[in-house]
Amino acid sequence: MLLYIVRRILIMIPTLLLTSALVFTIMELPPGDYFESYMAELQAQGEGVDKAKVEFLRREYGFDKHPVERYVIWLTGMLQGDFGYSFEYQMPVADLVGSRIFLTVLVSFATILLTWIIAFPIGIYSATHQYSWGDYGLTFLGLLGIAVPNFLLALILMYLANVWFGTSIGHLMAPEYIDQPMSWGKFISILSHMWIPVIVIGLAGTASMIRKIRANLLDELQKQYTVTAKAKGLHPFKALVKYPLRSSLNFFIGGIGGILPEVVSGAEIVAIVLSLETTGPLLIKALQSQDMYLAGSFLMFLALLTVIGVLISDIALAFLDPRIRLQGKSTR
Amino acid sequence: MTGSRFKEVAGITDTQGIVLGLALLAAVTVIGWTSPSIALDLIEPPYLEEQIAAGVLPPAAQRIPEKARVIDVVGMGRETGRYGGKLRMLMGDPKDIRMIVVYGYVRLVGYDEKLNLVPDILEDLEVTDNRVFTLRLRKGHRWSDGHPFTAEDFRYFWEDMANNGELSPTGPPADMLVDGQPPQFEVLDEWTVRYTWQAPNPAFVPALAGALPLYIYAPSHYLKRFHIKYASAYDLKKRIDAARVRSWSALHERMGRMYRPENPDLPCLEAWCNSTGPPSTRFVFKRNPYFHRVDAAGHQLPYIDEVIISIGSSSLVAAQTGTGEADLQARYLRFDDYTFLKNAEKRGRFRVSLWQRGEGSRLALIPNLNVEDPVWRKVLQDVRVRRALSLAIDRREINQAIFYGLARESANTVLPASPLYRPEYASAWTQFDLDLANKLLDEAGLDKRDSDGIRFLPDGRRAEIVIETAGESTEQTDVLSLIRDTWLKVGIKIYTRPTQRDLFRKRIYAGQTLMSVWSGLDNAVATAEMKPHELAPTAQAQLQWPKWGQFVEEKGVVGEEPDLPEVRRLVELYKKWNISQSPSEREAIWHEMLKINADQAFTIGTVNGTRQPVVVSNDLVNVPEEGVWAFDPGGYFGRYMPDTFWFRGRG
Repeated sequence: MLLYIVRRILIMIPTLLLTSALVFTIMELPPGDYFESYMAELQAQGEGVDKAKVEFLRREYGFDKHPVERYVIWLTGMLQGDFGYSFEYQMPVADLVGSRIFLTVLVSFATILLTWIIAFPIGIYSATHQYSWGDYGLTFLGLLGIAVPNFLLALILMYLANVWFGTSIGHLMAPEYIDQPMSWGKFISILSHMWIPVIVIGLAGTASMIRKIRANLLDELQKQYTVTAKAKGLHPFKALVKYPLRSSLNFFIGGIGGILPEVVSGAEIVAIVLSLETTGPLLIKALQSQDMYLAGSFLMFLALLTVIGVLISDIALAFLDPRIRLQGKSTR
Repeated sequence: MTGSRFKEVAGITDTQGIVLGLALLAAVTVIGWTSPSIALDLIEPPYLEEQIAAGVLPPAAQRIPEKARVIDVVGMGRETGRYGGKLRMLMGDPKDIRMIVVYGYVRLVGYDEKLNLVPDILEDLEVTDNRVFTLRLRKGHRWSDGHPFTAEDFRYFWEDMANNGELSPTGPPADMLVDGQPPQFEVLDEWTVRYTWQAPNPAFVPALAGALPLYIYAPSHYLKRFHIKYASAYDLKKRIDAARVRSWSALHERMGRMYRPENPDLPCLEAWCNSTGPPSTRFVFKRNPYFHRVDAAGHQLPYIDEVIISIGSSSLVAAQTGTGEADLQARYLRFDDYTFLKNAEKRGRFRVSLWQRGEGSRLALIPNLNVEDPVWRKVLQDVRVRRALSLAIDRREINQAIFYGLARESANTVLPASPLYRPEYASAWTQFDLDLANKLLDEAGLDKRDSDGIRFLPDGRRAEIVIETAGESTEQTDVLSLIRDTWLKVGIKIYTRPTQRDLFRKRIYAGQTLMSVWSGLDNAVATAEMKPHELAPTAQAQLQWPKWGQFVEEKGVVGEEPDLPEVRRLVELYKKWNISQSPSEREAIWHEMLKINADQAFTIGTVNGTRQPVVVSNDLVNVPEEGVWAFDPGGYFGRYMPDTFWFRGRG
């Protein structure tokens, strides 16, 4: 097992190197660079541009150098913990992302918890009451969650919240609390704003989660051991939760790996629509304006979390499910 | 020697036109100011009372310059205000923090409501032969941290920033070079500096007054700690590491950005100075206790204590404004938001007024005279074709259908608000006349048509034009669909192709684009004192002649030399303006350039003077009902002096 983990960790190195080269290449592909689109943007608004300042920045950040050279500088910087500089925000990427990570993680965790709380009971109910009215009805509701465009739902909820409860439009808290230290009032304000993104993002994920739980559980429920357990008079709850449910959860454990990057990036589109202070809008904006280092470092961070997440999933699966562990041994 | 002074003594005999305007206005603002007697009547802002009581701040009389700039608020047709309140504004981009500097519009000299140049930070400015500029500061003027603002701040900029190879790799700012030659800089005394060029530099003063100003000073007492010449190596190294930048020049640049005032420690001269460090989505700007303007009743301006800029997503600004989350908002509001905003007036407790936008044309069709295709290039360079295309646009229909008749049908030229406006510029080739258009196109050699009625080019291809847009608004496609119908009647078929902004420019620069859609002149409320750079090829970014523009911009190193005689004349006129001696000469140059542009229809304007919704809180007083919404001149709200706006009933 230990050897396995070490080998997996070693494989991560070339994977990440390849990812970084890919990320950098793709960001280099569009015509022009940040400074060109910056000037074009100001000109589009009929404003002037201080060309000398742009030229200064261009040189300062090595844009007169060859792309390969810039890639090496970026890569070595990242290894030393220097994630580069955001041109758009004119500050180090680390500070910028760091300032938003707390709220992002908060929103993401709340969303994931909500998804689980809704999806598990419904999934189990649907599986045990297959093709009943309850199954159809709940599945229908879940599918609605997928079908309604996220951003639309976000806009509607935001409008209603403003009209009914007087919640301020956009952001994760009322404007007066931004940049203030945490207080009871701020906490309440965050809660009163957070439910919208949590519901909107959560609903979309819920449906697919319900379907997965239902399908996996159905597989198990039809197996002989479940039938035998029921026939032998095992308590129905035990006959459901202790054996079939547990063995149907492999997909869930396997999915934990995907959660890690999700928690950090948040749902981008919804966050933009709601103007949340999370990392999602940062990333999208950076990609649009060719803010290379912000976008690049952030994507690399997500890549790193994905690889780690997959590793964690694999280890957890082996740990939790003796079948996987033992099969692994027998083939070796 | 012809000398002239921008100062409070009236009756100077040898003053020149614009300078006279300056002198008179300066006279208006300063005459009657006897500092000691009025200083006693100064009213302290309650916002600062605590700090004054604690001795952190001196009383008002010692905070303002000996000769403060007195704003005659009542004379401007406004009400004398009361202190207090927080002004909330919404922005959609982290870079928008510069709007505090643009809206605040505190400049060495600046444009007033009537487009006169008046000294603002400066007490007066003396110009001799357009060559020698003597700037006199206000004695006792201080930075927002209380440190005196003196000639040293100008010397520091000139010697240690503009002429430092690491801070200014491209040398001193372009507007400070005449034929590549920098001025001679002298410090005459603690409050007087002088710049002397060998040849006239009429671009200097307008550059100081720009919405994006030419900064020729910097808070030296603060910035020296980041400068390699003044700071100890050890301290500097520590600061560089703490800020995680690569060099001292990067640190200096980052800490000393005045146009993007993100550094809360940077002393400022604006009405409100930043108090919030980035990253943030909410920047609070607090009143500058040392601000140099006062009203006639003895209030130190600004009236409003704090300006709060919230940065969210730009698409939400209209909705947020509708719920009353902004006290003063125009940026990111579009004309299509007007009905929604009007509807929300009651609920959001605000009023919506419609200002006039300051572009030469809301959207103009811009033929690319440098297009690669040799046949099309020849056709588009034919003035008859451009005139015919302009004549074949039904501007009235566009105005009625898309702008509710609120715009003005006009060529791409200056607005009536500009002193240079003449009706014949606006009406040149803009009447809807299909017969004349057909006749002109026939004469231009496009007289053969196919069975669809589409004309043939000289080489036998159909006259089909792909018009590219930057894909930014549906307004463009709406207007183009109207134009398509009328152009079809003169045998020209158009297709619209939306692209993306960077690609859009790239293709035009490379000559791959035949025709594009963009807005007209950026500054259409120009005066003769402003640089006429938009009327002649001067930059690659000009979509009608990118290669000619690049040729002039790069001094003939790259690009192509203009070959149309009219365009050559424009370049000549532009160069003449840059060495012009007198305002009357500059005015004549402007008129000739406007005339050539109107007559040649290098760009085909549609409508201008379209409306910009401006949302003003019901409590906010002194915001004009009507105005011109333009970056230059005067920085959007800047010319209307937001420091004189105030809140009724908000403490």
